[in-house]
Amino acid sequence: MYLFQQKSFDKKKRTLIYFLVPITVYMLVFFLYPVLYNLFIGFFDLKLGGTAEFVGLDNYRKMAGDEQFLNSLITTMVFVFCAVSVELIFGLAIAGLLNSENKKMEILRTFILIPTVFTPLVAGLVWKSLYHPDMGMVSYYLRALGINIGRGLIVERHLALLSVIIVDVWEWTPLMVIILLAGLKSLPKNPYEAAMIDGAGAVQLFFRITVPLLKPTLLVALLIRSLDALKVFDIIWVITGGGPGTSTTVANLRIYEVGMNQLQVGYAAALSNGLLVVGIIVGLIFVKFIYSKEG
Amino acid sequence: MNIRKGLVLSLLVLFAGTGFLFASGGQEEQAAPAAESLPYEGKVLHFAVMADQYADYIKEISSEFQAATGAEVKVDILGYVELSQKITQDYATGSADYDLATVDIVWTGQFEQEGYTKDLSAWIERDKEEIDYDDIVPVMWVMGGWNGKQIAYPMSGYANSLIYRKDLFEDVDEKAAFKAEYGYELSTPDTLDQLADIAAFFTRKDESMYGLVSNGARGSAVAQDWMEYMRAFGGQIIQDGEVTIDSAECKAALELFVQIFDDWAPSGAIGYWWDDRETAYRTGQAMMQQSWSIARSGYENEEISLVAGKTGMAIPPTAPGVDVGYGVGGWGVGINADSSEENAEIAWEFIKFMTSKEVMKDWMMNDGAPIRYSTLKDPDLNAEMPWLSNILNSFENGDGDYRPRIPEYNEIQDIVGLRVNQAITHELTVDEALAAAAEDIKAIF
Repeated sequence: MYLFQQKSFDKKKRTLIYFLVPITVYMLVFFLYPVLYNLFIGFFDLKLGGTAEFVGLDNYRKMAGDEQFLNSLITTMVFVFCAVSVELIFGLAIAGLLNSENKKMEILRTFILIPTVFTPLVAGLVWKSLYHPDMGMVSYYLRALGINIGRGLIVERHLALLSVIIVDVWEWTPLMVIILLAGLKSLPKNPYEAAMIDGAGAVQLFFRITVPLLKPTLLVALLIRSLDALKVFDIIWVITGGGPGTSTTVANLRIYEVGMNQLQVGYAAALSNGLLVVGIIVGLIFVKFIYSKEG
Repeated sequence: MNIRKGLVLSLLVLFAGTGFLFASGGQEEQAAPAAESLPYEGKVLHFAVMADQYADYIKEISSEFQAATGAEVKVDILGYVELSQKITQDYATGSADYDLATVDIVWTGQFEQEGYTKDLSAWIERDKEEIDYDDIVPVMWVMGGWNGKQIAYPMSGYANSLIYRKDLFEDVDEKAAFKAEYGYELSTPDTLDQLADIAAFFTRKDESMYGLVSNGARGSAVAQDWMEYMRAFGGQIIQDGEVTIDSAECKAALELFVQIFDDWAPSGAIGYWWDDRETAYRTGQAMMQQSWSIARSGYENEEISLVAGKTGMAIPPTAPGVDVGYGVGGWGVGINADSSEENAEIAWEFIKFMTSKEVMKDWMMNDGAPIRYSTLKDPDLNAEMPWLSNILNSFENGDGDYRPRIPEYNEIQDIVGLRVNQAITHELTVDEALAAAAEDIKAIF
């Protein structure tokens, strides 16, 4: 009997392993290999199509003094912080509004996902035409309302980054809504009932019960969006091309310029490894919070 | 067991599907059998083409070539940045995705040094009579050559020109008002000071009229437009092996360029690429621009232009003491160095066909750009396009080297594109921008 059970267990185990094979192969080929290869060529002075010369840590030393890359990292951080913060606030507010079971809310939940369905490239092209300084609808109405946008939202240095952050918020807030809505729906009812009996108001319920209970979900949502925002490239490439000046040049755009325009793939690999480290640090901070006692 | 069966079945379906796809691909390559007389029946070539006005008609030329030879030339039309990156990666990795590609004349140095495209000299020498070598304007040959090798065959020649609103320049009231304000007659400017006066005169923002427009978008667009003004001031990026982009001439050019965006151009010009700038002119917003002659026919096309019949074309003005500048640019066509012998031979036949006198004449009527004397002097074409004599004049006196066609051109253009954009957006002062550009360019060498 025992042997039969053991045999049956092994068979099940084998079946499970079969299921894991495709994803393991996928991860090895499309994730691990590129990462390792990128780390490898980061140690070479390699121009696309040219010869490779081992230069040790020279690319990383160059990166530490590369003003354009360091500035692009700062721009990236500003982008991530502003975009994700606003997405979190809007996401939480909208999730709260949609957290009721009726037909209208179900329809609204479907519609609110529409921006996320757009590929960032298409979203960028649509917004670029809306932002067009001379002919864009957004520029037209802002000017009609008497708002000073100078020469235009995407051509003024102090407005361009804000403009692309708005696009990111428009596109990705719905994702935040869906994650937080799932979190809200899973919250237990008892603490609310007890608090209401004790006379807690809506604000107290939100800050004393909803937010603490929702904290793990909030952190997961922040982690997903922060890492995604850290990789931003397409909407900025399409809308501003990194300009005006360097005002919207995020790290990925700088890496792209070095790798694809200047064909310095060795140095571009080192830069992207630098960005990878930043991403890992951001991820670890969130993971630490998620698994902390409070989380 | 069921799972295993399912997996096996899935794999079979996958392989069958893949096999079907390959079979379909194979059919495409082999094509249908046809007349025996066609020498390249079933052969397929790929051609990466810059998305300029001339591009669409290349598909028509390709069809004619297929009818004549059997070879299909698949045309892939790409934007400037996309084209540059795609073909460079193709050449650098040796993947030979494209047998043919349009080559901006400023890439010739790099392409020769890296061995990206085949040297066409032997073919040209062999077929000199057939291509009527001397019918092609000499500057066109020069622009596609580097280090004694012909790495691109002349395809579309452009003359840099001052494009202006002829109707306004000839308007009696405007002329009188201009003379009253500036003390001299309103006419096409010979000097950059006159250009500035006219730009200021025609800038009436409350009427959505802007005196002068240029490309401002960071990258190749702003870099190339600024270089026109740099040439007009007698400046050079590199002179006698020295980086001279921070010279007094270049500084004067950048100061004027900044003023264009501050005072005379539409508000969005800082983000303009070539097509945006042309749109600003064709929609009647901008009164003057420096542009390539390829766009000239489009101004007369009422489907896309509100200024049909109102455009004049002149040699761009220069600073006092600087020779009149006849900036010449355009596109050649190169054959991928990694293309097979057979494909390269067919590609050469296609190049000869595409640039033949007869095809060039038809192409000119469909947004083509001239390279041949016979085209530029053709009476039918001159009747349709009276500006061809201006282009011929520019070509005969042309200078295709004011933009340094050296192997490092792309990196230099990247640097200039960023620093000039930083100046026009006032992120850096003119002095800071040029000093930074000089430092960056020196670091390349």
